[in-house]
Amino acid sequence: MLLLLVILCVYEYIRTDTPDQNPYLITDYSRLHPVKVDRVVKGKEEEQLVRLLQEAKEKHLTVSIAGQRHSQGGHTYYKDGIVIDMTDYNRVLSVDPDQRQIRVQAGATWEQVQKAVNPYHLSVKTMQSQNIFTVGGSISVNAHGRDIRSGSLIGSVDSFRLLTADGQIRSVSREENPELFRLALGGYGLFGMILDVTLNLTEDEVYRMENEAIKVEDYSRYFQENVLGDPDVRMHIARISVAPDRFLTDMYAINYSADPALPLEDYDKLRTREQGVIPSKIMFSLNRSSDWGKNAFWSMQKLYFTKQQNKAISRNNAMRSESEFMEYGQPGANDLLQEYFIPVDQFADFVHGMKDIVRDHKLHLLNITVRYVQEDHEAVLSYAQEDMFALVCLFHVPLSEQGQAQVREGIRDLIDEVEYKGGTYYLPYAAYPTVEQFRRAYPGYEDFFRKKDEYDPQHLFMNYFYEQYKGE
Amino acid sequence: MNMRWLIRSQSMVTLASGMIYPYYLLFLKNLGNSYAKYGLAFAVFTISSAAFSQWLAPRIDHSGHRVLLISSLGMMLAMLAFPWVESYAWVLFLQLVMGCCSAMQKMSERLLLADHTVQGERGPVIGSYHFWTSAASGFAVILGGYLIDWLTIDALFYASAFMYGISAWAVWKMRKP
Repeated sequence: MLLLLVILCVYEYIRTDTPDQNPYLITDYSRLHPVKVDRVVKGKEEEQLVRLLQEAKEKHLTVSIAGQRHSQGGHTYYKDGIVIDMTDYNRVLSVDPDQRQIRVQAGATWEQVQKAVNPYHLSVKTMQSQNIFTVGGSISVNAHGRDIRSGSLIGSVDSFRLLTADGQIRSVSREENPELFRLALGGYGLFGMILDVTLNLTEDEVYRMENEAIKVEDYSRYFQENVLGDPDVRMHIARISVAPDRFLTDMYAINYSADPALPLEDYDKLRTREQGVIPSKIMFSLNRSSDWGKNAFWSMQKLYFTKQQNKAISRNNAMRSESEFMEYGQPGANDLLQEYFIPVDQFADFVHGMKDIVRDHKLHLLNITVRYVQEDHEAVLSYAQEDMFALVCLFHVPLSEQGQAQVREGIRDLIDEVEYKGGTYYLPYAAYPTVEQFRRAYPGYEDFFRKKDEYDPQHLFMNYFYEQYKGE
Repeated sequence: MNMRWLIRSQSMVTLASGMIYPYYLLFLKNLGNSYAKYGLAFAVFTISSAAFSQWLAPRIDHSGHRVLLISSLGMMLAMLAFPWVESYAWVLFLQLVMGCCSAMQKMSERLLLADHTVQGERGPVIGSYHFWTSAASGFAVILGGYLIDWLTIDALFYASAFMYGISAWAVWKMRKP
């Protein structure tokens, strides 16, 4: 009996003895590239942050800024540097219902924002589908979500205060320091530490959820006519099947249409618990483990969403989607995101091309969701160079060097296909794309890195995104 | 009374508690931003356990078996309730209940062990008791880790509740000679 227990312990030690599980190294959600840092400091007060920056400069240490660390390309840490964890710097500073604005510290999560604005019947304009992320982190990646009318996050940011490398705190908006506004939004923490943010809000409303099954070939037309063309539809998300029986051919769409006949008071209680995490997690594990599981998961998802047909939901509740069931912590492998922006009329062609690449490279695709982003050139590193569909792809990948090399090759081929269709890709994820691919997708890169050198000549703010994509 | 069933039931109790305990600490830590708040939750447990023991002491001699059964059922209910708790006050209340259950369990297991062993022959029984309960605890912790990785901490609470349920059944069986 005791021997069995000892054997189990030894087995467990060996199984978890991988770099991605080393508690003394720092990494992000991807668990790729774990390194030792000087220290992780919790941001608490403004003066403390200013002092920290001063200390880092004197000691020639780098500074990286971290929120929930859900970016996956080493954007939030750097070897031997200081990591400033902003999650405790999270107070809601003020809500102004007349101006429809909220001011929060950068570490506040969208959940806190929703809680603060819900009583005023106000709602966030643009954020990710889940509300677990920090506002500062979301701004640094210029996030986008299910809302099809409000553009990417930059559009709803009124202003923020930025602690720059020279130790100054600057007010940044479209009027004051407009250049920094365009650089730091979607700037991956390279231009300074965002301290607090003023966001423009919109009205909370009641939506009816409508679901529709469609084919990949019909999706662009369907979207333009039935979704974008219908002014009542406010939010939209679609899914593409990764089940072998319907691999990248079947889709279903969920539309959220405003229904003014439904009184908001009946639906505005915020949902605070994630529903059905245990069965969803079991189903998602099946989806991860076998072809049979993928088919079963797709059928079950469809059934689940059909059941939600015509369900009424407040905007604030629609913007707090479940995420816990997808968490995965096993050693040696992880579920990583990639996101591709494809011009609306190129969608079906791209998905068709993607099918071959995924199969040829044996990429293990777990899930694809589709959102819509409007053309937006405001951020220097803007991804939506025209109206695009964002394909958020979740891949199950090995974390070993050899496994990663294989995935990298496949992803680079996929990005070639993206580029061929006139698309771009999203930067918060693992650094699989080449420097050349990055430069072609983001023509603003030269400006971005030149300004980085101007505002931060000593490269105080540092991360792996800079290291990998600065190039020569 | 059947001593084997006492050992079985209490091994099941340590399996249930060992499975949840270290992860439960993480769960509690996540509830508050300060360690002081976390400390308070534990103080409530120990104080209620101490206070309840004084009420229980004069009453337990003739009802050790029943008290042991109630403690397992009480813990089962507490484990079922945890995933549904949404306020710190409820956590404190459950800590209070669990403190009382802990007093019942510890006092009655010792009482039954003493009652049903004879002076000079207790060593082997106590040794066997300790071995099985400790080994169960070792398995439980490892199993708990797997369960959270593959499912959620809520699933772990439910699994623990199930084990407490089995321990209650084993205590019930114990009455038969």
